[in-house]
Amino acid sequence: MSGVNPGRVLLPTATGAQTRAAVRRLLRPRWALAVLAVAVLIAGTAIGLVTIRLLGHIVDLVVDGRPAGALNGPVVALVVIAVGQAVTAGWGLALVARLGEGMLADLREQFIDRVLALPLHQVEEAGTGDLTSRVTNDVTVIATAVRSALPELARSMLTIALTAVGLAVLDWRFLLAALLAVPIQILTVRWYSGRALPLYAGQRVSVGALQHQLQETVSGAGTVRALRLQDSHRELVRARSLDSVDWTMRGVRVLTQFYGRLNAAEFVGLSAVLVAGFLLVRDGSATIGEATVAALYFHSLFAPINTALGLVDDAQSAAASLVRLVGVTELPAAGSPGAARAPSAATVSVEAVGHAYRPDQPVLRGVSLDVAATERVALVGASGAGKTTLAALIAGVRRPSSGVIRLGGIRLEDLDPAEVRRSIVIITQEVHVFAGPLRDDLRLARPDAGDEELLKGLDRVGAGEWSAALPDGLDTVVGDGGHRLTVTQAQQLALARLVLADPPIAVLDEATAEAGSAGARTLEAAVEEALAGRTGIVVAHRLTQAVSADRVVLLDAGRVLESGPHAELAARPDGQYAALWRAWADHRPTG
Amino acid sequence: MRGERLRGRALLRRVIRREARSVGATSALSAVHQGAEALVPILIGVIIDRAVGTGTAVDLIIWIAVLGATFVILSASFQIGTRTGEYAVERASHALRLDLTSRILHPRGATDAGRLPGALVNVATGDAQRVGMINLALPLGLAAMCGVLIGAVALLRMSVPLGLLVLLGAPVLLLAAHGLGLPLQRRSESEQEHAARAAGVAADLVTGLRVLKGLGAEQSAARRYRRISRESLAATRRAATAKSWHDSTLLGLTGIFLAIVALVGGRLAATQQITVGELVAAVGLAQFLLGPLALVAWANGELAQARASADRITAVLSAGQRTPGGNETLPDQVGGHLRLAAVEDAGLCGLDLEIGAGELVGLVAADQRSATTLTELLGRFRDPQAGSIELDGRPLHTLDPTAVRTAILIAEHDADLFEGTLLDNVTLGRVPADRVGPALTASTVDEVSRTLPDGLHGPIAERGRSLSGGQRQRVALARALAADPPVLVLHDPSTAVDAVTEQRIAAGLRDLRHGRTTVLVTTSPSLLSVAGRVLFLADGAIRASGPHAELLREDPLYRSIVLA
Repeated sequence: MSGVNPGRVLLPTATGAQTRAAVRRLLRPRWALAVLAVAVLIAGTAIGLVTIRLLGHIVDLVVDGRPAGALNGPVVALVVIAVGQAVTAGWGLALVARLGEGMLADLREQFIDRVLALPLHQVEEAGTGDLTSRVTNDVTVIATAVRSALPELARSMLTIALTAVGLAVLDWRFLLAALLAVPIQILTVRWYSGRALPLYAGQRVSVGALQHQLQETVSGAGTVRALRLQDSHRELVRARSLDSVDWTMRGVRVLTQFYGRLNAAEFVGLSAVLVAGFLLVRDGSATIGEATVAALYFHSLFAPINTALGLVDDAQSAAASLVRLVGVTELPAAGSPGAARAPSAATVSVEAVGHAYRPDQPVLRGVSLDVAATERVALVGASGAGKTTLAALIAGVRRPSSGVIRLGGIRLEDLDPAEVRRSIVIITQEVHVFAGPLRDDLRLARPDAGDEELLKGLDRVGAGEWSAALPDGLDTVVGDGGHRLTVTQAQQLALARLVLADPPIAVLDEATAEAGSAGARTLEAAVEEALAGRTGIVVAHRLTQAVSADRVVLLDAGRVLESGPHAELAARPDGQYAALWRAWADHRPTG
Repeated sequence: MRGERLRGRALLRRVIRREARSVGATSALSAVHQGAEALVPILIGVIIDRAVGTGTAVDLIIWIAVLGATFVILSASFQIGTRTGEYAVERASHALRLDLTSRILHPRGATDAGRLPGALVNVATGDAQRVGMINLALPLGLAAMCGVLIGAVALLRMSVPLGLLVLLGAPVLLLAAHGLGLPLQRRSESEQEHAARAAGVAADLVTGLRVLKGLGAEQSAARRYRRISRESLAATRRAATAKSWHDSTLLGLTGIFLAIVALVGGRLAATQQITVGELVAAVGLAQFLLGPLALVAWANGELAQARASADRITAVLSAGQRTPGGNETLPDQVGGHLRLAAVEDAGLCGLDLEIGAGELVGLVAADQRSATTLTELLGRFRDPQAGSIELDGRPLHTLDPTAVRTAILIAEHDADLFEGTLLDNVTLGRVPADRVGPALTASTVDEVSRTLPDGLHGPIAERGRSLSGGQRQRVALARALAADPPVLVLHDPSTAVDAVTEQRIAAGLRDLRHGRTTVLVTTSPSLLSVAGRVLFLADGAIRASGPHAELLREDPLYRSIVLA
């Protein structure tokens, strides 16, 4: 692997139609809940509107000079309504939360399902950073919308709609007066959307950069301390943090101006309703009580209108996040070649395979290699010779630019991806301990394994001792957030997963590289055990792994230069492997 | 726990004090805003009374103009107040982020070193933001109370019983809101934890995606995620339901309060103690009061969250230092003579060893743990349980850790690379140009850079994940060599590097570090063969010492460890 990283192919985002369809699919199994939630909220809002009518009624009773006792009825009704409103609001909001949270959980599960099913080469090209940001940031944005914006928006819209009905019922001219505010509101929302969207996009980028910087600084705190880089890292955090403050404040300025303009709409609407009341009362087509109710209705609209319009940007950013999530969940499933065929033998054949990450820089050229069942092949060569690339191609992680690779005589692309993985497992340089109990980590490889089997797997790769010494045995929480394993232990864990998955063919790429030398030897023994009885292709950095292999394949600048048993290659007088071996063995006594 | 709570409160007070002027200004402006908001229903009452009821157009025009002026004040005070408050929030969170960064990076380390990076980042982002919010929540809460007060005074002027009713009723309502907020705080803590768990597991699975796919464990991983996601869903649903009922109880209480105001006001109007317009204003005011009261409830919720976040922040900030004490500095010229006497710690049992100034020494440990402990002790990342470690005769525990690390650079095998170009990672912006070339050559990074599209100026992405393991190691080695410290401790610097390259690195190291103390903690024969002397550590103490070739010949255990 020469670290060549051509232009990132980012993962797609969904179209509007795809997103709407996805939302409909999420909603479908819950339609009854959704209908109930909306009904309860409508009932609650309608009950709330009766409050103002009752207040208007009280005004009319007073204007008519009715005795104080006549007020008791309406007041008791007010109390009943308050209780009713509380109960319906609480119930309705709980229902909306249940609906939204359930849909969100479904969505995030679908997302993870789809990510897990992505072809690995696509993940490699897109980088895991994009996926991680979608599964953390975008899910959070949507969760916030679901938890706060959605119920608020639902309630506000209902209040606005029902109040408009209320105004029209009093007198259609009241509604007409109130509608004078609408043009200002529309212009305001337009003005705001044009400015707010780029601002929020900038703010998100800036907050992302800050998050990224904190992650890098905090995770690398050990290195920062050792190299005394505290000052420069603090400065980096400071600069990014100030930048995010700056973006946030720009957003706040636009937001406050937005509400300022809405204030103007409030004034225009309220004055119009009052003037309408004045005129209607003067010509006798409305009572003072009705004029009061109209004014109070409009006044009570201030808050819901502000809320609803203010949520426009929450809704927009949630929508932006949603298209990013749906973009992944709607990716076509990895193409299954139809007839599911299983390789009959644990053999690997590589025919004239070439590969290039960039067209002008071929990494492999015309590589051919046949590996017999249970044969052990060591790939050796200098850095950049193409060992990792060849390993990845054989394991089906990447597709070769040219040539054919067969497992058990069947072309890789004719095999179902799941079948490929049942036949061949690859352990790469990347070690990852999954957060959670050790048992769960191991069971990823074999879900139905009992404890005894798991322990046996650990024992086989030499991890029996330390795993038995863990504070809670197999229940010990490991990985991010739990008990920290050393690099050697993490690698042993990876090998234990291999043993448990038990594939006929295994590809190991630098699996012993990063553990430190002493760990490397522990791991070499573990690798021996893990590969026993399997066809093994091992990218060897330590030539001891080449010695123990059945065959050594020396790659140089993307070509197979030498191939044969260690003893034979090491004995060639001017062979490149022989030179490599001499360099390696120089410091070791011969024999 | 209790102490942490107290310190959390102290942190909140400090955050407010630091922005006292902004908090004051925001409170005042928001109070004006609330007053103007309260004036709107009063003016509606006046217009009903003086214009709609009487039919005089002049009064209508005058009072609509007054209403317009009120809106101007309302809007201006809101805009300026909110901006001031938000700025105070942002500044406070920014300051907290920097405090936390400083604490996390502190040279003396922290006793709670087990905290995970992800959790710490959450504290520095989410918790810092929530604590900063107090600078907006507090003024808005105070202004809302002012709004309640203004409404009450207006009511009091119309009628004493009506005003008293509001003055006495509102605090009861506020107390109820506070009482209801407490269990919500506890709920919100567990909700955040659970929600974070689903997100954390998802991110963890995505990070380990290549491993999962290499193993073919996609389906079992999906099943596992679904289980956790469902648990998380159940918890958030419980919390959301609790919050819904909390909010609606408050709504019900305010509604009942409104009904009582209407009852009393209506009776007063029916007996002509107040006018119809005053009744309208009273009802409008009681209606208006829902706003500030809800604002008080919101501020209360924010304060509850800020308290919980402040506790988490203080837990990080107040963690003890791992290597307290020792402030002495070292002279500019450090000889580089190391001496360990009777050192006891994990994997070390009464270790004595001495390394002369300028020596190139190999150190082979039979037990990995001894090697790890030793590098941690030499960099004073922690102090030994017993025994002493001296540099040029000065005990390390009397020295400032930064001074120690200026003199002794520990280059760990899993050192991180940072964002920037390859060259930036080597020079760290402080290495003189003439030292860079030799370091690049000795570590064979010159070769690495030739295989990269943009060479030395190519960016390093995702903390070096864009490089292979061997390339990463070589860049980290070049960085350590370029720093040119008086004492360099290299812990397994070339494990992911092929044999030919490793040999070149060994020779390069020997030449570049000539005359400077260098400790190679490794079991690689290529590296050990360039060391003048090798110390062999077994059972926590020196078992043998001598040239690599001699130890190979004479010590079978050494042989078995160094040679596979």
